[in-house]
Amino acid sequence: MKHYEPKLVCFSCKFGWGYLADEEELRHRIKNWVPIICSGKIDTIHILDAFKQGADGVLILGCPEGDCHYQDGNYEARKRVYLVQKILGAYGIEPERLRIELAVDPEGNAIPQMVKEMSDAVAKLGPVKKVKERARTAAMAHR
Amino acid sequence: MAGKPKVAICWLGGCGGCDEAVVDINEVILRVVEVFDIVLWPVALDFKYDRIERMDDGAIALSVINGNVRNADQEEMAKLLRRKSQLVVAFGACACFGGTPGLANLRTKKDIFDWVYRDAPTVVNPEKNYPKTKVSSNGAVLTLPEFYEQVYPLNQIIDVDYYLPGCPPPPDLIVNAFMAVLEGKLPPRGSTLAPHKALCDTCERNKTKPSRIAIRDIKRIHEVEAQSNTCFLAQGILCMGPATRTGCGETCININIPCRGCFGPVEGVKDAGAKYISALASIIDAEEEKDVKRILDKVNDEVGYLYRFSVPASILRKRRVSEVEEQ
Amino acid sequence: MTKKLTINPITRLEGHGKIEIFLDDNGGVKDAYFQVVELRGFERFCLGRPAEEMPRIVPNICGVCPSPHNLASTKALDDLYSVEPTPTAKLIRQLHFNAFYVEDHFIHFFFLSAPDFVLGPDADPADRNIVGLIKKVGPDVGGKVIDIRKRCREIIKLIASKPAHPEGGLPGGVSRGITSEEREWIKETADDTVQFTQVALGLFKDLVLGNKKYLDMVMNEAYKLQTYYMGLVDENRKVNFYEGKIRVVDPKGKEYVTFDPRKYADHMGEWVEPWTYVRLTHLRKLGWNGLIEGEGTSLYRVGPLARLNVADGMATPLAQKEYEQMFDALGGKPSHHTLAFHWARLIETLQAAEDMQRIANDPMLTGKDIRNMNLKLKKVGIGCVEAARGTLIHHYETDGQGLITKVNLIVATQQNAAPICLSVKKAASEYIKNGEVKEGMLNRVEMAFRPYDPCLACATHALSGETPLEVIIRDSTGETVKTLKRP
Ligand code: SF4
Ligand code: SF4
Ligand code: SF4
Ligand code: FES
Repeated sequence: MKHYEPKLVCFSCKFGWGYLADEEELRHRIKNWVPIICSGKIDTIHILDAFKQGADGVLILGCPEGDCHYQDGNYEARKRVYLVQKILGAYGIEPERLRIELAVDPEGNAIPQMVKEMSDAVAKLGPVKKVKERARTAAMAHR
Repeated sequence: MAGKPKVAICWLGGCGGCDEAVVDINEVILRVVEVFDIVLWPVALDFKYDRIERMDDGAIALSVINGNVRNADQEEMAKLLRRKSQLVVAFGACACFGGTPGLANLRTKKDIFDWVYRDAPTVVNPEKNYPKTKVSSNGAVLTLPEFYEQVYPLNQIIDVDYYLPGCPPPPDLIVNAFMAVLEGKLPPRGSTLAPHKALCDTCERNKTKPSRIAIRDIKRIHEVEAQSNTCFLAQGILCMGPATRTGCGETCININIPCRGCFGPVEGVKDAGAKYISALASIIDAEEEKDVKRILDKVNDEVGYLYRFSVPASILRKRRVSEVEEQ
Repeated sequence: MTKKLTINPITRLEGHGKIEIFLDDNGGVKDAYFQVVELRGFERFCLGRPAEEMPRIVPNICGVCPSPHNLASTKALDDLYSVEPTPTAKLIRQLHFNAFYVEDHFIHFFFLSAPDFVLGPDADPADRNIVGLIKKVGPDVGGKVIDIRKRCREIIKLIASKPAHPEGGLPGGVSRGITSEEREWIKETADDTVQFTQVALGLFKDLVLGNKKYLDMVMNEAYKLQTYYMGLVDENRKVNFYEGKIRVVDPKGKEYVTFDPRKYADHMGEWVEPWTYVRLTHLRKLGWNGLIEGEGTSLYRVGPLARLNVADGMATPLAQKEYEQMFDALGGKPSHHTLAFHWARLIETLQAAEDMQRIANDPMLTGKDIRNMNLKLKKVGIGCVEAARGTLIHHYETDGQGLITKVNLIVATQQNAAPICLSVKKAASEYIKNGEVKEGMLNRVEMAFRPYDPCLACATHALSGETPLEVIIRDSTGETVKTLKRP
């Protein structure tokens, strides 16, 4: 069987993650990495678009609870993620393909590791099902 | 006759409500009939399918098409009208976004057939019959159009020039649309012939909306007696107003029922649900993960609330880029 | 060589339909099929939806007949939550329903049926429409019809948002009450409607009873079909649109069974044929006996004439008088004369209008108590009303959260689908002999299926002299032999 390497998109908040690291160097180690200012800036549409463009998983890294520079950006992000997970499920896409972590890692060394862990988990799920098959999965839920 | 612009009004997979809505413009319909030459209106006039086929391409000035596409006949009709028409208006939620029947896109054709023709409690089907596209019965050959695996909004089948949303669209916007065509005062192609604002912006109850809503509990419509003058969201009742285009005249709000989004997303937004998620998340008053879950789990039918009229047009439902490339 | 006539499109159920007529070797009519060519799967995609949202989703099944779906669904919720609507809520729902009955029955009668009677089935099609009708009966009548339809739709809008897609309806009640100012114009509308319906009935009777040719046509064998009949009746066995028990009478008029609508699955069976997307309803205990009438049939009809056939009378005084007169003229009960559906429809309109009057004058109408909040979820709910075109059943089951796990729907036109095949066959047989299709066949076939379902094909007559009918005669290879169209 062909080796399957899932496509993962990682958004991380610049205030909490890898701000002391050399961004270029980190970029080499993390594919599809999108550093942003505050996880609260990630709109639902960005997440859905990532899946639409072919992502098999999306990982969001925000500042720790109580430590968002914009007060509640990370909490907002977490609420959105929870709702999007529910939507994904209803559409026949496994909710585990979307994750959010609220923590801090100035060196950013943990990011490649977290991406790898999530990639492995997503690899077990396989690629996102095609539209047609997803209907089948969603339908099964109501059997 | 020859001088009048030709208009076709056609339904595909619709409920007829959109045609009723055209009839509901009452007196104005008589004027429409006067100034336009209606060449096709299957529910109301002679079904001149052949005649349409024989017309020159582009001979019809305007085709107003309601309903979605779910079978081979409907697809054929949509394509024929596109060829023959200068302008195509997607009329109503079904044509614009798929409509409520688009909720079926989260199920399979087989699932529907098995229930309808085999499992429903009243079915008596010892011969295990299923409808077929071609069948001989008693020496006669009968045909049915093929039922597709999913529902398509019009713009996934043909190019659409204008959109008129609503389930069904309201009389004033219908009249405006006809007049705009007649007077040549149409906005740029691709526009939606309805206001750009969100329903909340025109809703009377917006005045009662506190500057910062904080919901600690989501309530279902049967669980509470909704106040008739307070914003639904402020009462913890899901209302799609923040993410829905205005233009319906707040008809549901007026009968004290929250909006479910039949007008589709506000201008510039491609996915109504995504917009709503952001709006809803911001008013949920919880920080602890378990509180967030407790509150949001009351949104027990995400798709049914957030995408009631728009599953086929939603980002997740359209084919992924990789799937398109594969073909 | 089998010849085939196609009539496309003719009516709607869950959408569109067509009629195919096949000729035998001798050129006589062998079979006629009324095919419903569409399916949308509401019963499946409603799974997972919160039950209380159903009255807002199911009206999309049919935008011509959305109110009955809205109300059957709302009543299914009452049952699901074991709750009775408050008296005021019930009045408001019935007001909505009566307003719907009036506007729907009227548009059917005036736009669709009346031209046949008033102008005659053989009149020039250019005149045989509402325009011709107005010419003959005067512009006042036409204006009045449009006016009453508009005002009734205003009532629906007041109570249920958009008339083509009602959105209100909650278990145990309604979402909005009625004010005393609103009562005033509702009252006026009701009064005007009662008055005008009597005018309409007078018009119809003058024509039919006063003209032997028409009465003969109504009584003609070509338009007769002997089936069972089904409809709701109240405790006094009077016609009721909103509630009651389902009564079935046999082709002789004898009671076959009366049952609680919750028991519908014991009595209604749905047969599946490969040539149509609609399931063919029949009396389950009799078994599926195919497309036959009279002795041995298991087919039943629903709709206006069926309701009058199963009931002992009308629930309101003016309508009752009309009821007696109609059955007198038709030679007793039950009446199998399909064209009498039109007459029955007007009598029902009168009952709906009188009932609207009763409600408009009821002090409770403007009550504030519009919700009964004492809800107890019992996981199964069945709601039944008489839709304008016949008995309508919504059956829902839910999980402990009130989320839908099962939906079964029996809709009116599906119950008439098999009888429509037979009615078309009979009417066509009179006009197709030895492969010759006589002039006027189109009209006659049209008249045979029209009593069952109006759809907007009515407006056909409104806007042009042409009709939606086209008959293509094909030989067995599918080659078109002849195309018949209206002149
Ligand atoms: S948009 Fe609504 S009214 Fe129009 S066809 Fe679709 S379901 Fe019917
Ligand atoms: S959320 Fe609903 S009730 Fe509140 S202002 Fe917006 S549209 Fe009106
Ligand atoms: S309130 Fe919402 S659901 Fe109701 S008609 Fe307006 S846009 Fe449609
Ligand atoms: S600043 Fe890091 S999540 Fe808001």
